[in-house]
Amino acid sequence: MGALLQRRAGTARHDAVAWGYARGADKFGVDLIQNCEVTGIDVEGGKVVGVQTARGPIKAKKIALAAAGRSSQVAAMAGLRLPIESHVLQAFVSEGLKPIIDHVITFAEGHLYISQSDKGGLVFGSYLDFYSSYAARGNLPMQEHTMEAIAAMVPAVTKARLLRSWGGIMDMTPDGSPIIDHTPIEGLYLNAGWCYGGFKATPASGHCFAHLIATDRPHAAATKFKLDRFRTGKGLMDEEGTGAQHNLH
Amino acid sequence: MRITCPLCGERDRREFTYKGTALAIPALDAGVAAWDDYVHMRDNLPGAIDEWWQHDMGCGSWLKVTRNTVSHEMIAVVAGEASGLGLAEAQANPEDQA
Repeated sequence: MGALLQRRAGTARHDAVAWGYARGADKFGVDLIQNCEVTGIDVEGGKVVGVQTARGPIKAKKIALAAAGRSSQVAAMAGLRLPIESHVLQAFVSEGLKPIIDHVITFAEGHLYISQSDKGGLVFGSYLDFYSSYAARGNLPMQEHTMEAIAAMVPAVTKARLLRSWGGIMDMTPDGSPIIDHTPIEGLYLNAGWCYGGFKATPASGHCFAHLIATDRPHAAATKFKLDRFRTGKGLMDEEGTGAQHNLH
Repeated sequence: MRITCPLCGERDRREFTYKGTALAIPALDAGVAAWDDYVHMRDNLPGAIDEWWQHDMGCGSWLKVTRNTVSHEMIAVVAGEASGLGLAEAQANPEDQA
């Protein structure tokens, strides 16, 4: 029996991260317009000129898409198709417990992870449901698989009740790796295809995306995240060695 | 989620393996753009979508299922020749053993 210990790893409060960035952006003078849906992207002569929103139009020379889960819907507003399928990933939280897990425990072969939030709930999950979905909820077979796997890995959790579950919409690419690139439309930038690994990549992904938007050159760390790598076959990042086509990642 | 297999009847999703979006296979010599479209590019919009599910824990049929990706409602299921599975070349020349 063997294992790996990664001492520098840990968890982050997802809501704190989102609010931290919101407060920081606000301090720098960024306008954050909430509850305002983009309903169209205006393209003239192969260049973006602005967006249409539920609260009116906004002119812009540069538009950046980072709408994970719904990248295809937003790109379609500019007449673009993407190499992305939206799939559902379920996550689960137990009732609050006294501290029993102070690590993130994962079983990579089962795509299984479990940790404990500072509110006491155990946070865990495993595989995709393995069909495309925009329902933001999954089905019982994968819930059952996850519970069986977690109970095998950490038997003590079987005493806890499941408090809630939900499904997120994942941007799945053919090689399981992300896209940070220009699009064929001038002034339209894309950050998408993070599959189920997006949140933890947020700071680096945002930093690289900002670099691309500001300089029109990819950040050194993100040069391989090209949109056209599937068409050309060059630079595919098939990390699991399963092949660069949908539903293998 | 249940799928009604035309041969076996209504069965639990666990009897089936999802095989991906159902699109017409391009001709072998259709060129890079057509094959890139088929293998990689997707409309991927919410609503009704055609996809392949194989009833591998039942009769083994490949079924073309029309499903709503927002509600998971199964709208239609087609099996066999009517589903259009397969290369156009093979369908045009069913006697070819090559």
